[in-house]
Amino acid sequence: MAALEPLGAALAVFVFATIALVAIRSASDATAGVGETAPERVPFLGGHEPDVHAWSRFHARYYVMALLFLAFDMEMVFMYPWAVVFVREGGIALAEMGMFITILLVGVLYAWRERALRWA
Amino acid sequence: MGLRPAVERVAARAPVPVFAVAGAGAQAQVDDLLLQPRLHLVDSPAAANVLLIAGSVPAHLAGELARLHDGVSRPRLSLWWSLGSSVAPPMPPAVEVLDADPSVLVEAVVDTHRRLLFGELTSSPPVLPDEEPAPWRGIGPYGQGGTGMTGGVPYGRPMAEVAPDRDGLRLDQLTVRIGPFFARFPTGLVLEVQLQGDVVQQAHVVVAPEGEAAVEVDVPTTFRDALNTPVPVSVLELERARSHLRSIASALVAHQLPSLARRVLRFASNVHPDQSEDVQRLHRLLRRSQVLGWATKGVGPIPSDQLEGTATGPVARASGVDQDERTTDPAYLGLGFEPIVHDGGDARARMAQRLAEAGQALQLAGRAGDRHHDPEASLESPRGRLAVGDLPAQRLLPLLPAVLEGMEWGDAVSTVVSLDLDTDEVLALRSPDRELPVP
Repeated sequence: MAALEPLGAALAVFVFATIALVAIRSASDATAGVGETAPERVPFLGGHEPDVHAWSRFHARYYVMALLFLAFDMEMVFMYPWAVVFVREGGIALAEMGMFITILLVGVLYAWRERALRWA
Repeated sequence: MGLRPAVERVAARAPVPVFAVAGAGAQAQVDDLLLQPRLHLVDSPAAANVLLIAGSVPAHLAGELARLHDGVSRPRLSLWWSLGSSVAPPMPPAVEVLDADPSVLVEAVVDTHRRLLFGELTSSPPVLPDEEPAPWRGIGPYGQGGTGMTGGVPYGRPMAEVAPDRDGLRLDQLTVRIGPFFARFPTGLVLEVQLQGDVVQQAHVVVAPEGEAAVEVDVPTTFRDALNTPVPVSVLELERARSHLRSIASALVAHQLPSLARRVLRFASNVHPDQSEDVQRLHRLLRRSQVLGWATKGVGPIPSDQLEGTATGPVARASGVDQDERTTDPAYLGLGFEPIVHDGGDARARMAQRLAEAGQALQLAGRAGDRHHDPEASLESPRGRLAVGDLPAQRLLPLLPAVLEGMEWGDAVSTVVSLDLDTDEVLALRSPDRELPVP
């Protein structure tokens, strides 16, 4: 019997989640645009109707920032083992890490110069 | 006491959400409504319950006005503030206010809104029929399938076209027509823009077709009067200062700085020749605003060679073009008038130019004495050279497509606002092929 207890808990979570989902959907259906006519639902463009469907793929320009973040994030991962040997190796380890970060920074400066970070 | 009456009472005490359309001869009055604490001017009809139509709106905008009306949230009513115009709007309004006094209008709007909330007035029904432009239909026999992400043509609206973008990718390009009642543009300005994300790839101005009746502007303005009758230079210069300050106030509203805008508007409505130092204080205040600096610096630059000879007043002078009709006007001889010129040519320079010119106009008004502008001499309006049939907006609008290309939409709006286009002039534009005539 005790083996079924976790199953009961999981079932309870599932039932509650389903009820919450149905409740939220019904509340949203009940409040959103009841009885609105087609022209009332159209997005406002200043008086003109949209001629083209708004569902379109556009360039997510933040992906460059995301890649840069990842590059520096991985660098942090390399710094953990480096921190362990830093006390033993001293100045040489510091110089090596400095070179590594400099190379990465040169990459960022190059991307900047090539206007890869330009948003628009 | 029931919950509904209590909520209604609270709602009736709040500022009335109004979407205002400034028709011909009504721009300044509508701008000044920002000073009314009982009205809340909103940028989208969905946020409003009252549609305020001020002045006269030409009949060819009837379809767009109907669509705007249907976009206003229920319960809704439209209200016409005639402001001396005898031409009723193409869509009959529920309430008419014939008095030009803004306090009478505010009373009428607040009363209409209260009665609407308490059910004494019924919400106006939709004007347009409840029909989708077309049913959702794909290419298959049961309406299924097709190209694009969803297949078919959703409700008659095709999916966006694919076009190369700046980075060599082929991505969707959305074509939208913004206007003629877009809140931050002058009424009547329609921009057809192709957007990739929020970047404007292409823009062009759509002009009303020729043959549509021009709007009668019954409300005379000082500068239009000066084309026919001698007008004192002091009156012209005070009006110039007022116009420049109003333009700055609308730019501040566009940058979401309404408190600063109110301050400038209050100053504009009580402007006096002794206040040129106050204008300088205002200039320092605006220069210190970091938010405004970020939003306008480097935005919408127009190179001086594009503006050479266009006589577009402060816009040209902000780009370093030293052209002002007042230098040849005999009425200004001996007044010590020297045109002010800025360089930079961006939205920030245009704002600085207008502020400097407002201060200069107040000084000139104080020195002008009883000099009169001769209607035969050429006239420099706050937006550039003004003559019968030769309007500054006609010379400014052709610059827009090249300036807006490659800009983010927010910057594009700032740029259009910084050009200070006159609503009456934009509404008066006509063209046989709906394209801008080349000046």
